[in-house]
Amino acid sequence: METKPAVVIENLNKTYQLDNVQVPGLVDVSIQIASNCFTVLSGPSGSGKTTLLNMIGCIDRPDSGRLLVAGQDVSQLSDDALSDFRARHIGFIFQTFNLLPVLSAYENVEYPLVMAGIPAESRRARVEQLLNAVGLMAKANHRPGQLSGGQRQRVAIARALALSPALVLADEPTANLDSQTGSMIIHLMRRIQRKYKVSFVFSSHDPKVINAADGVFNICDGRITGFERINRNISA
Amino acid sequence: MFRKFALIACSLGLAAMAHAAADPKALLVASDAIRNPTKSFVLTATLIEYRAGKQTDTNTLAIYSKPDPAGGQYRTLVRFVAPARETGKLMLKNGNDLWFYDPSNQASIRISPEQRLLGQASNGDVATINLARDYRAQLTGEEDVTDGDRQTRHAHKLALVATTPEGVNYRRIDLWLDTRDARPVKAKFYSDSDRLLKTAYYRRYRNELGVERPTETVIIDGLDPSWVTVMRFDAYAWRDIPETWLQRDYLSRFHPE
Amino acid sequence: MKQKLTHAVRNLMRRHQRALTTLVLALRNLTRNRQRSLTTLLAMVVGVNAILIFGGYSHDITNEMQTDFVQRSGHLQIQRKGYFLYGSGNSAAYGIAGYEKLIAALKNDPVLKPMVVVATPTLQLGGIAGNFGAGVSRTVMVQGMVAQDQVQLRKWNDYGFPIAPRPLPLDGADPQAIVIGEGVARVLQLCAELKVPMCDAQPKAADPAANDAPPDLAALSALEGPAVHNEATRIEVLATNVHGAPNVGSFTVVKAEQQGVKELDDVYVAMHLPGAQRLVYGREAPQVTAVIVQLRHTDQIAPARARIEQLLAKDFKDAKLDILDFETLNPYYGQTNRMFSALFGFVFVLIGAIVIFVVSNTMSMTIYERTVEIGTLRAIGQRRRGIEALFIIEGAVLGMIGSALGVVIALVISSAVNVSGLNWIPPSRVDPIPLTVRVWGEWGMMVLTFVGLTVVAALSAWLPAKGAAKQPIVDALRHV
Repeated sequence: METKPAVVIENLNKTYQLDNVQVPGLVDVSIQIASNCFTVLSGPSGSGKTTLLNMIGCIDRPDSGRLLVAGQDVSQLSDDALSDFRARHIGFIFQTFNLLPVLSAYENVEYPLVMAGIPAESRRARVEQLLNAVGLMAKANHRPGQLSGGQRQRVAIARALALSPALVLADEPTANLDSQTGSMIIHLMRRIQRKYKVSFVFSSHDPKVINAADGVFNICDGRITGFERINRNISA
Repeated sequence: MFRKFALIACSLGLAAMAHAAADPKALLVASDAIRNPTKSFVLTATLIEYRAGKQTDTNTLAIYSKPDPAGGQYRTLVRFVAPARETGKLMLKNGNDLWFYDPSNQASIRISPEQRLLGQASNGDVATINLARDYRAQLTGEEDVTDGDRQTRHAHKLALVATTPEGVNYRRIDLWLDTRDARPVKAKFYSDSDRLLKTAYYRRYRNELGVERPTETVIIDGLDPSWVTVMRFDAYAWRDIPETWLQRDYLSRFHPE
Repeated sequence: MKQKLTHAVRNLMRRHQRALTTLVLALRNLTRNRQRSLTTLLAMVVGVNAILIFGGYSHDITNEMQTDFVQRSGHLQIQRKGYFLYGSGNSAAYGIAGYEKLIAALKNDPVLKPMVVVATPTLQLGGIAGNFGAGVSRTVMVQGMVAQDQVQLRKWNDYGFPIAPRPLPLDGADPQAIVIGEGVARVLQLCAELKVPMCDAQPKAADPAANDAPPDLAALSALEGPAVHNEATRIEVLATNVHGAPNVGSFTVVKAEQQGVKELDDVYVAMHLPGAQRLVYGREAPQVTAVIVQLRHTDQIAPARARIEQLLAKDFKDAKLDILDFETLNPYYGQTNRMFSALFGFVFVLIGAIVIFVVSNTMSMTIYERTVEIGTLRAIGQRRRGIEALFIIEGAVLGMIGSALGVVIALVISSAVNVSGLNWIPPSRVDPIPLTVRVWGEWGMMVLTFVGLTVVAALSAWLPAKGAAKQPIVDALRHV
């Protein structure tokens, strides 16, 4: 665990405008997230865990503070540079799966590769590898409408990993799944995290997710209230 | 013996006179002099128009005429006197140029040859035309002809042909002159295509300005013989006509005395 | 070298792979809401049809008009300088002497020979036509023409309209024959003889209160015999000759022909050229007021004109001649053309506005529905411009499909109209002609409409697309 941290946050602040009222989102957050780990941000709804995840994912900007993601200071990057950074270094998994409904499973996973300009041969190899990793090669030509919730999330996982990002972020990935499927997804993500040595950062209040984590940050009212180590990453 | 000689001499003289009188050019000149006074003059003309047997129009005009010193066509200023709606209107004829002036709107416009094809403007030169200068005369014989009063007269028949196409409206004219005194009796005016355009009878001979003149001309249209115009001339008087009167620019300032 | 090439090709494919994917995405997204896409397509199809069918119709009208003008007055006319503007009151002053030599030169010139169909002289003059037996006359415009050449002129039909050449009653008729307009026939009280419709002979009633002519005048008048009027259809034409003197000719009317435009119909008299020349020039050398030149195709006007100018400068320098084209001679043509162009432009703009509304509305709705998707794409690294491009291409694809469909349907509709056998009477014509809409062959118009409306559709998607790309990612992802 002595490699560079995946995320370094110092004195991060964020407030929201809500009908002329300033609402604090994050207050003076300073944490470091270890790389190659399964990290969970835990807290009640409205605690700011999603806000913090959005900061890390570079889809929202803090008001003040320092933020290094995969070693890169992202606060000064332009919008286009941020987009490119996200494409290259961050994978996203959403609560509502967010697959493109007009593309097949294969094409959904392939999409980030096409955007990055990866040639066809390499793309095929990668997509097949990922689909096999999530066990959905057989459904490669199915559209999301023809897949179950768990299958969709698996495709989403494959897509998130397409460009070998340093970080994979997931906001409540199991919230729309039944408990059995949710467990399966958690175990899959855990396996993949170990196999591909990617840093997974989740926000969740699902105890199964927390139990599978290596470390948990507790957040309440926009402040980090604590950190717990749960499992040791064997391969770290 | 002497009486016989005198008789022969007289008859020879008469014969010589008759021979001289039969010269077509001289006859033409004589007939012109009968119709048209040789110096500037003024007269009053009454025009009565008949169509298809009914009287349609009457106009009274004051005509101021000045002959061309070279023997060409007269220059004429016509002033409308009656009817009341036409009073004061003027027409200026200068060679082939015809100008019309209306005092009510002070406009003077030129009447083009096309616009003179019909109407009284087409009758204008039939009464006042000077034939000797523009026409070559040939005597085609003597014949009896009905005059304007439907009397028979014995007349020389002259065939006139225009010597130049410029400025003449009739290429060919048949003219009947009384054998006794070269008075014009009748004339027929023909177009270039040899169609009869006008027939004119010269009648009502009165002594005016020192000569027995035809004071009435009856003009019958060649294409529509039911259209007859009678031009009666009265109140002949010698008159000095200033050059300015015959200028187009003066029309608006013209004032009869 | 070979490696460099494959590298380059691969780069090309790589760059285009993105474009291809965007295109595939756009196409597939259009099928998401079939009804909305179909409605938008339908609006575009109707719009394209409105433009193309109106355009085709107006093209046909102007082509018909052009055909009519070229049949009557050829493509080019050679006239004396000034005749066109000043000669209408005094045509004799603008005669072309030695016109036979000019026509021979035109017909034999090697450059002009393949272009020229007819070169024929005409003489136009103002005069008075009279039926003096009935005591009526009327000012008329006399056209002296060579009948055989005029028959040839009337055969011109470069645009392939389903019309037959108008017969020329003067053709083959005797030298004194003339044709007059129906308006002229009415005034000259020749309706019964010439079978002119809409005519009750209204002889001028003499004023009963007027005095009778004195009997002596009546007798003198009677001496002259009856008016020159032996046949029912014989009339006189009075004109002034080249010296200003009156001249008159006798002619037989063989037909009264409606001329379409009332002002022309009221003064039209057509006769053989020699007859007109005798009226104006008498026994002198005959002249004409114009030489009509008709070409095979209208687009040959420029080269033919240039060549004729050369010929005139070389051999006819002193004749002071001008060349006028049929548009100058018939300002009505240019005016009608301009009116239709303006109308077409107006229709195009109107349809364009409708397309803007429809497409931007469709795109706004689809963007709104895909807000989460947009947020997702942005999250996984798509740039703002990429999102814009996505929707602009969707709009463009919609525009392209709609326009293409519209063009095809317009071709079908126009073909149907052209074979339908429907008739109509265009303004300034007299007989009904088949209704035609010219879309096939109007490539310029079709391409302009297709490209124009596609661009309009793409632009209509642009603003909503910009809005889509600008929204904050977290708001988009949170959208319900």
